[in-house]
Amino acid sequence: MRILVLILLPFLAIFLQSNLFSYYSIKGTIPDLILVFVTFFALFNRVDQGTIYAFGCGLLEDLYMGRFIGLNALSKGLTAFILGRLEGNVFKENLFVGVISVLVATILNAIFLFIFSVLVFEVFHIDMGMLFGILYQAIYNVIVAIPIYIWYYNSSKSGVLKNLGRE
Amino acid sequence: MLKLLKNRVFWLLLLVVIVSLGMMNVTTAHRNNLTLVEKVIRDAFIPLQSGISIVRGNLNEVVTAFSNKSALQQQIKKLEEENSKLTLENQQLREYKHEVIQLRLMLDFQDSRENYSLLPAHIIARNPNNWYRCVTLDRGLKHGIKNGMPVISTAGLVGRVASVSENSAQVSLITDRETAVGAIIQETRETNGIVEGLGNSNQLRMINIPYYSKIKKGDIIITSGLSAVYPPGIRIGRVTEVSREPNGLLLVAMVKPAVNLDKLEAVFVVTDYQPVTNSEVEEE
Repeated sequence: MRILVLILLPFLAIFLQSNLFSYYSIKGTIPDLILVFVTFFALFNRVDQGTIYAFGCGLLEDLYMGRFIGLNALSKGLTAFILGRLEGNVFKENLFVGVISVLVATILNAIFLFIFSVLVFEVFHIDMGMLFGILYQAIYNVIVAIPIYIWYYNSSKSGVLKNLGRE
Repeated sequence: MLKLLKNRVFWLLLLVVIVSLGMMNVTTAHRNNLTLVEKVIRDAFIPLQSGISIVRGNLNEVVTAFSNKSALQQQIKKLEEENSKLTLENQQLREYKHEVIQLRLMLDFQDSRENYSLLPAHIIARNPNNWYRCVTLDRGLKHGIKNGMPVISTAGLVGRVASVSENSAQVSLITDRETAVGAIIQETRETNGIVEGLGNSNQLRMINIPYYSKIKKGDIIITSGLSAVYPPGIRIGRVTEVSREPNGLLLVAMVKPAVNLDKLEAVFVVTDYQPVTNSEVEEE
């Protein structure tokens, strides 16, 4: 059941992002739910598990998009790897930790995306709009992260995601 | 350093990074076909996305039906006035069209770009992340859509088909960072510039404008037809700002798209556009 939920979560995230949230964007920016799920998974699991899960979720997003396959996989995988390294040093009971982790993950993910895009895109425009886009996304991610973190934490302790934590 | 080189995780990460970068390079936006896995994943979302799209459409109709009656009456009146004006303009344009056809016949001029076959399609999903600007259509290979076909709406240029699966097509919008369209100013027909997407939903940038160009705020920008993808004469947008590039030799203009891409629900795919080749341009 746990595994099924973990597999379904990125599918649900893609569906919500391409349908629901695209109609409620803030200045054309939508939240990155996959990144939010990946961040929480990285916080509650071992670093290698977090990295592999994040890579897989990013790969699913890339396959759905059908271009630059590996871009999101790599950026999300590396983001989860860095977050996973910090995992042992934080109090996961605190909602604030979840929120700050999502904020850090959004910035890290954007930096990785930017670096890889510059390397592989034929045409890539850099302007202030991009910076504002990241800022809006960070705010949006933090807002949606609050209820998701509460659900994720409770599920990891006594719900459908139980036993997925480090053992 | 030696410790790092002996670390298996480091080498594994490095390998994954190199393989991924290689994969990104061979799966650019200009691929001809999607792999089977991509097609399956994309088509798996289609029934749900189509369903939500229909529900959303029905809800909008219900909301419209219950909205303010007097506002609707005012809108109908305004639309009726606009309709009569457009009918008159249409009659006039039909006359001009007839005249142009006659003149072309006299000159024995063949123009294959006269009429395009338009395939209507609905938008069932939008970009699932902020890095790309794209929409998903409910028409795919089964309906005759192919990669690279231009996509338009009644208001103007929307984009081009970037990838197709059996039942859906993904369209790269003109605002996508990877999109570039050959463009001219509608009234003066001057300035062969390039309009490029900025990854922003509401803004485009026109570059390669010579410093002596008379381009100004409010000018309408249309497709030039010199690109291999887009037919000529389709409205792209309106100039909102003109400035000089740092080198001083070229101008750059900001363009507001003619189509409200955030609210767009239905489009037309041009299924039979034959791009003008360089040799044809030289001959003309």
